[in-house]
Amino acid sequence: MSKKDENGLFSSLWDSLSSLRLTIALLIILAVASIFGTVIPQNAPPGEYLQFYKPSTYKILKILGFLDMYHAGWFTFLLALLSFNLVACSLKRFRVTWRFFSHAQEPLEAAQWKALPLRQTFFQKGLPADVLPLVREALSRTFRTPKVIRNSQAGHLFAEKDKLSRLGVYFIHLSVLVILAGALIGYYFGFRGNVNLVEGEAADRVILRHEGQVQPLGFSVRLDQFNVSLYTSGAPKEFKSTVTILERARQVRTEPILVNHPLTYKGISFYQSSYGVAGVKKAVLRIKDRLSQKEITLPASVGTKTEIPGAASSFLLAQFIQDLQGMGPALQVLLFESNRPHETFWILLNHPEFSERRPGPYQFTIKEIEPKYYSGLQVTKDPGVWVVWAGCFLMMAGFYVTFFLSHRRLWVRLTEKGEETRVEIAGASHRDRAGFEKEFEKIGQALREKKTSKPEESEKYP
Amino acid sequence: MISTKMLTAVTFLYLLCTVLYIIYLAFRSERLGKIAGGVSWVTLLIHTLAISLRWVESYQMGIGHAPLSNMYESLVFFSWCIALLHLLWEWKLKSRFLGAFTMPFAFLFIAYASLTPGISDRIDPLIPALQSNWLHAHVITCFISYASFALSCAMSIIYLMKLREEEKGQKETRLTARFPSLDSLDGLVYKTIVVGFPLLTLGIITGAAWANYAWGSYWSWDPKETWSLITWFVYALFLHARFTREWRGKRTALLSIIGFAAVIFTYFGVNYVLSGLHSYA
Repeated sequence: MSKKDENGLFSSLWDSLSSLRLTIALLIILAVASIFGTVIPQNAPPGEYLQFYKPSTYKILKILGFLDMYHAGWFTFLLALLSFNLVACSLKRFRVTWRFFSHAQEPLEAAQWKALPLRQTFFQKGLPADVLPLVREALSRTFRTPKVIRNSQAGHLFAEKDKLSRLGVYFIHLSVLVILAGALIGYYFGFRGNVNLVEGEAADRVILRHEGQVQPLGFSVRLDQFNVSLYTSGAPKEFKSTVTILERARQVRTEPILVNHPLTYKGISFYQSSYGVAGVKKAVLRIKDRLSQKEITLPASVGTKTEIPGAASSFLLAQFIQDLQGMGPALQVLLFESNRPHETFWILLNHPEFSERRPGPYQFTIKEIEPKYYSGLQVTKDPGVWVVWAGCFLMMAGFYVTFFLSHRRLWVRLTEKGEETRVEIAGASHRDRAGFEKEFEKIGQALREKKTSKPEESEKYP
Repeated sequence: MISTKMLTAVTFLYLLCTVLYIIYLAFRSERLGKIAGGVSWVTLLIHTLAISLRWVESYQMGIGHAPLSNMYESLVFFSWCIALLHLLWEWKLKSRFLGAFTMPFAFLFIAYASLTPGISDRIDPLIPALQSNWLHAHVITCFISYASFALSCAMSIIYLMKLREEEKGQKETRLTARFPSLDSLDGLVYKTIVVGFPLLTLGIITGAAWANYAWGSYWSWDPKETWSLITWFVYALFLHARFTREWRGKRTALLSIIGFAAVIFTYFGVNYVLSGLHSYA
């Protein structure tokens, strides 16, 4: 391959990579691919897929990366290509845009003047040198202070407003890159994990999601208490984990974690994500002596033997089950009586009638159970999140500048015509032409009103 | 509850507005146009009062929160945004051609809320996930953007109707006589999208910020998030296609209609067809 061909190949590759066609194609492909990602469940266990798909289909989907599509190589490649295309397109256009910033306004030639969309001509009494300060004053009041164009006669002026608007699109494109950079920072330098803590327990490491690895925190977090409160309708009102941060057994902070109210310590955030019952904190039992019909109430805890007062019997709460065969919370009781082998039976919080039917000298019922909760916390470290927010801010600023401002330019030419001065003004706006047309009318009006004398003599040319 | 009854009445008022605007187009009488516009403003006023009353009622129940928390309330708010934006554009354009195409949207969405038995109109207390100030910023930005896209969709439909007529070389029919020129319609489609697109972006950003507080991740490719991004891609496509003047007129009008279809799927489809974290509305 000759050098020329190589150059040709390179430039045609560059042309396609920097083309708007590619942008349009990529946006369509990304949109369509994303639809697949919402229809096919992502990161589900294999069993779930096999309910919907044939094993062969499942295999194909897995190989093509459709089951974890947003992290698949080809999806990342498309995003990378879009970023590259964005940079290439921006660079290509930026060369043209930058002329507005790097080059001073040149004097306009006749053809250029005629090509401007808005023009007005009128006459003012006096020499251009007399009219000039008036024009300058009127323009700085209604538009911007004009400058005399270099390399032109003294009477050739130029003023412009909101030139920044031309850069808006580059801000927006840059903001997309900033957001993607923030996401990458989070991906490489952050982690996302979970930890389940039973009340009273502490942990100094978390299990990472997906990878299943263990991530040390560098400090410990202890769950002091978990509370769930409900509305009268039974809908949840608040899930609250009160946790303490411990640095080498020293308590540093104690704070509640609620949904929408995470705790952040040393860049690591803890979010309330789930909860459940791990056991019993305290159970209060009602024990009725069937012979004497006397009833006593006494607290008991799981795993400790409790004496029944005034009798030679004792009992042990062997275990707690949150839901015994669909009948709700249950405690297993081991009853020890003198001269008899011990008995084992279940007592149910929601069904005291079972206890009434059970024969024996004592009738056990549960008065109340204070459950021991565990709280599931999501643990996240994402050092890129502020980069993402900065990108979002830049994008919104870019939208404002791009869509709601426009680069408006105004030229004025003063020429001596006998005792009068011919004033020609022309304007152009790179967006919102209708809006600028009105502004241009007003500016023209203001310039005409600034008369040295004899207002009736002024003429207006189309 | 009084507010719910008021909103049911408002539903039928929007139907009346729709009919009035269609009659206006058919008979070309300025007086009819004024009546249609007037009834629309009154409907919007009652609608506003009903939403405010629902807010007050929630405080009287002791579970006070802004009425933006479930499918019913969001539909009522969506319809309100469409009617408000429609009337503001009508006021700005000083022309009443738009109503026959935008008011049906306002009517359909509130009718879906009021008349579907499956959509509960009860005021429920906020579940923990919704107890956040981000709720207001997120819902308001999203629905104003959706409403703006509804308007651009309506304008695109008008554009395509007018274009078809011009292509066939027919004379203007009674109905289309009031429509502005193709160029101004094309400009209007663009202008409504230029309002909707930054607001959609802001809606996605506020949603991401909220998700970061509530779920610990600003983006998790949840179906709702993904579909909002698909919608964003469609309108980004519209803007790029139009800015560089590669596409104009018919093709961009079609894109704007596809964009609004994506909005509707993001709003309803994700809830009914797909499942995910975002299950409130």
